Amino acid sequence: MAELETLKQELKKINAEYAGIRDVPAEKRAEFGREINARKQEILAKIAAAEKAAMDVDVTPIDITAPTAPNETLPEVYPQSFGSKHPLMQEIDRVTEIYQMMGFDVMESRQLDDEFHMFDSLNFAKEHPARDGYDTFRTEEGLIPPAHTSTMQHRALKKYKHNLDEGKAIAVVIPGRVHRNEDVDATHEHTFYQCEGVYVSENCNMGNMLGILREFFEKYYGQKLNIRTQPGYFPFTEPSLEFMIEKPKTLGGKKGDFLEMLGCGMIHPNVLKMAGIDPTKYHGFAWGGGMDRLVMLKYGLDDVRYFESGNLNFLKEF
Amino acid sequence: MKISLNWLKKYVDIKVSNEDLIRLIGARLVEVEGVIDETHKYDKIYVARVETAEKIEGTHLTLCRINVGGVGKELAKVETDENGLVQVMCGAPNVRAGMLAVWIAPGAVVPASVHEDAPFVIGKRKMLGKYDSYGMLAGADELDFDDKHEKIAEIDPEVARPGELLADIFELNDLILEIENKSLTHRPDCFGMIGFAREVAGILGEKFEYKNPEEVLKADNSIKVKIVDKNICERYTAVVLEKHGELKQKYLTWQDTILAKSGMRPVDLIVDATNYLMLLTGQPLHAFDYDKFVQVGGTDEPEIVVRLAKNGEKLTLLDDKEIELNENDIVITSNNVPVALAGAMGGKSTEIDENTRNIIIESATFSLYNLRKTQMAHGIFSEAITRFTKGQPAYQTLTVAEECAKMLAEGFKVAAVADEVTQPEIVLNVEITVEEINNLLGTSYDEDLTTRTLTNVGFIVKADNGNLTITAPAWRTDIHIKEDIIEEVGRLLGYDNITPTLPLHQTAESDKMWELKKRIREAMRRLGANELLTYGFVSGKLLEKAGQDPKNSYKIVNSISPELQYVRQSIVPSLLDKAYMNQKIPFDKFALYEMNKVYQKAWGMDAENVPVEKMQMGMVIAERKNNSTAYYKAKKYVEELLQGLNIVVKFLPLKDNFAANKPFEPKRAAEIVTEDGEIIGVVGEFKNSVRLEFKLAEYLAGFELDLDKILVKANDKKEIYIGKTEKRDLTVKTNDTYGVVVEKINKVLAKYNAKAEITPGSVYQPEGSVDKHISVHIEFRAGFDNKIMQELETL
Repeated sequence: MAELETLKQELKKINAEYAGIRDVPAEKRAEFGREINARKQEILAKIAAAEKAAMDVDVTPIDITAPTAPNETLPEVYPQSFGSKHPLMQEIDRVTEIYQMMGFDVMESRQLDDEFHMFDSLNFAKEHPARDGYDTFRTEEGLIPPAHTSTMQHRALKKYKHNLDEGKAIAVVIPGRVHRNEDVDATHEHTFYQCEGVYVSENCNMGNMLGILREFFEKYYGQKLNIRTQPGYFPFTEPSLEFMIEKPKTLGGKKGDFLEMLGCGMIHPNVLKMAGIDPTKYHGFAWGGGMDRLVMLKYGLDDVRYFESGNLNFLKEF
Repeated sequence: MKISLNWLKKYVDIKVSNEDLIRLIGARLVEVEGVIDETHKYDKIYVARVETAEKIEGTHLTLCRINVGGVGKELAKVETDENGLVQVMCGAPNVRAGMLAVWIAPGAVVPASVHEDAPFVIGKRKMLGKYDSYGMLAGADELDFDDKHEKIAEIDPEVARPGELLADIFELNDLILEIENKSLTHRPDCFGMIGFAREVAGILGEKFEYKNPEEVLKADNSIKVKIVDKNICERYTAVVLEKHGELKQKYLTWQDTILAKSGMRPVDLIVDATNYLMLLTGQPLHAFDYDKFVQVGGTDEPEIVVRLAKNGEKLTLLDDKEIELNENDIVITSNNVPVALAGAMGGKSTEIDENTRNIIIESATFSLYNLRKTQMAHGIFSEAITRFTKGQPAYQTLTVAEECAKMLAEGFKVAAVADEVTQPEIVLNVEITVEEINNLLGTSYDEDLTTRTLTNVGFIVKADNGNLTITAPAWRTDIHIKEDIIEEVGRLLGYDNITPTLPLHQTAESDKMWELKKRIREAMRRLGANELLTYGFVSGKLLEKAGQDPKNSYKIVNSISPELQYVRQSIVPSLLDKAYMNQKIPFDKFALYEMNKVYQKAWGMDAENVPVEKMQMGMVIAERKNNSTAYYKAKKYVEELLQGLNIVVKFLPLKDNFAANKPFEPKRAAEIVTEDGEIIGVVGEFKNSVRLEFKLAEYLAGFELDLDKILVKANDKKEIYIGKTEKRDLTVKTNDTYGVVVEKINKVLAKYNAKAEITPGSVYQPEGSVDKHISVHIEFRAGFDNKIMQELETL
């Protein structure tokens, strides 16, 4: 407090000095003014800091062990009717539950990762233009907030490699938050959620991949669905595909109205090799797709920006 | 990339409907983003001969009578004179009697305006107050083939007669496919019509019949090409053309319409030829003015040196922009003076102009890695660099340059040829069995079908009882391993023909953290709280407002805005921000929470050498109208939540200086500590300064929990007691804290070996008194004795 007083005195002094500018020769006035002003700004900043500190000085301590303050009623939580779960989280829970029923383990994706997991371990050649397709953010250290959940493939393969030795398959889904350097509008977010799937065994094939994906979407939307594919390109799968479903009738879909749901393909032998899995003995497939779209489709939402808005008008609907 | 179906059909015999074709291209080749329908874009547009052209004094207009081949009669509203000619006014300087022009008849839409909101419909107009003008004579710009508005288009009399539809002559009733380039990143060959057509033949199950031209020209040693580093340029072909005549008068040609449909515009005859060949073959070409080239280098003969640029070297490009080169850029130099940014754009100093006598046609390939950096550094996204960055194969540089020479033969003849190859052609064979293909795809294709499918698109296949030895054609530089072949077979025959099947299920293990969060989510909804997701990136300002040091945050170097520059250190500051927004809406009371990953530089790296990450849960309770103590509600939430997870905790004074603790007021906040002394979080009210920075009402508190630690402590143990209980109330007058009182009670209970649940009653403090009356309920489950109560009364 005393410090604040001193500072205020100093400010007064400076203001008084400034009044003396009339006595300064005209050609030196500018310099004089600049100098005084610099000092004044410095003091003002110090006063602001001191005032802020002062706010936190005069605080009455409380009994942190007590259930309530003296003479106040015991606190109560809000009624259940206030509560809500985030729709994305709720749906991702549902997604992972379906995959779990189908025999998939679950692990969550990282949100800050390195070049190795994001690109190198996925068979992206160094400096390859394919890396540009991902519009990644980077930190000063060269770390990457991952642009796809595939950043976890290498870890998943290593973590569950023992399954193969035990004669079982690696089957894991990896939901998580990803980031892309994109301008935000109703259909684009720089922050969104994906779910990755990885399956490796001695004799799995592309027919299995299509079977699992169709099964998942039919379970998720609770109805039979037509599926369709188109060729795609990802360095970490070969062959690579885009997977589409016919928009479910219950959600207002018409015949021939196909929606791209995810990218998928047979895991590139180099990706398996890098995780220490013999690609001449084992095959695998992997997929990854956005969760936001899935949920928007389910609830008929038209703006992806609701999800991270924190707006209770939206959230309380769920 | 845009693909004209009419052009495509020149190379492939297509027996399916356009609709099926487009669907098949989408399913087996590439993503079709859209289809531009131009089947009616050139309706009612005809070739006409200008019979008379009469300048009107004092204006730029010419009164023309045109021969429309009799179609004028078929069109309502068009009057013809006694000779059957139609009168039309024209303002172009090049209109003259005898020329073949393009007539947009009344009622037709000007093609350049078809995609506008209000397409421009041509009609009959009265001009200069007295002349009727029917329709218009169109320039290439109005026909949407060019952007320059200079003159009317002229048609070669050898290709058309008056009255013919322009659309018929140039095959303009067309569908244009818009192709998503990203899905062809690995297929440079498909960035030329021939390569694209080959694939279309393949997916239709037809053999592609087009034969690539043979190399006829032979390299002589009359000009020097030096490639300084073989890694930057695999092959450089230069063909010198010498002028020996005039190129033909510039008519509107079929080739112009192809450039336009592909999204390009005509420039001049030489550049148009190079562009057309690029669209046809995928191989970009560049033309230098030979004489300028020699002059810039100060040599008698051209000395072409391909090298990496030096940092700081300057080069003025064709678009008049001077750029500063860097060491990743590849430059074409004339005797070491840079004259072009390889693969990206030519230089101003060697630009072709109307005085050009001799030219050098460059046909080369460059390192896609360097060009990618060039593209990024200089922001050049031309059709040429788009192709080069896919890695154009080197096999056709000479033949494409040769084609270019042929196209310009009327004005130029070949004077010299250089062809420098730095890397030997590698012919790679892939050995694979039909069984391996079927095993990975889950199909049962036979040897014959597999072989035919591959040979249709140029593979050479030697089949021997199910064993295939496959040689990829020169343009398929992307084929290296078995899986590449499997992809070809699966794709060309259609992935949609693969039967979906399910592999055997096995049991799955759930992720414990994921399950914990599910439990918390359930519990918090029951407790009336709202789950939020907020960005993992925050502003430096937000960190400072919450009392956190931005230096402890990982900083994004290419953030979208200052609002998203730092990786957040804890969850609570983001929630304080959202609490303000929701109070403004207004919501009077709410409990916001989020569970997400956070990072701090102070935590260092983990065993994988990536930043240590923690899963944290933050919560903020805010009310607009409440003057009681917010701390206790936040604490109540912590207790309710942890009780559900069977974790017993104590609330101890806040000592640690963790970043997550910074926004909390130490005098009104507590560390949450488990029975074995581990700190698992913080709960409390916020500093006044923080609250005011976030502009929040006074009733405000929250907590931040370390979910990784909670996961270790949480358990399903539940002590169930079903039996008799003795309930007693106890009030103690004291100046101790509540915690101390409970501790004392517990000590007495322990002395008597009694078991009881203690729950809070009330805390009463008469005005002016130091002492408080603390009341609790005690529910005895075992060892109740009146002596215990008597002893407790004395506390």
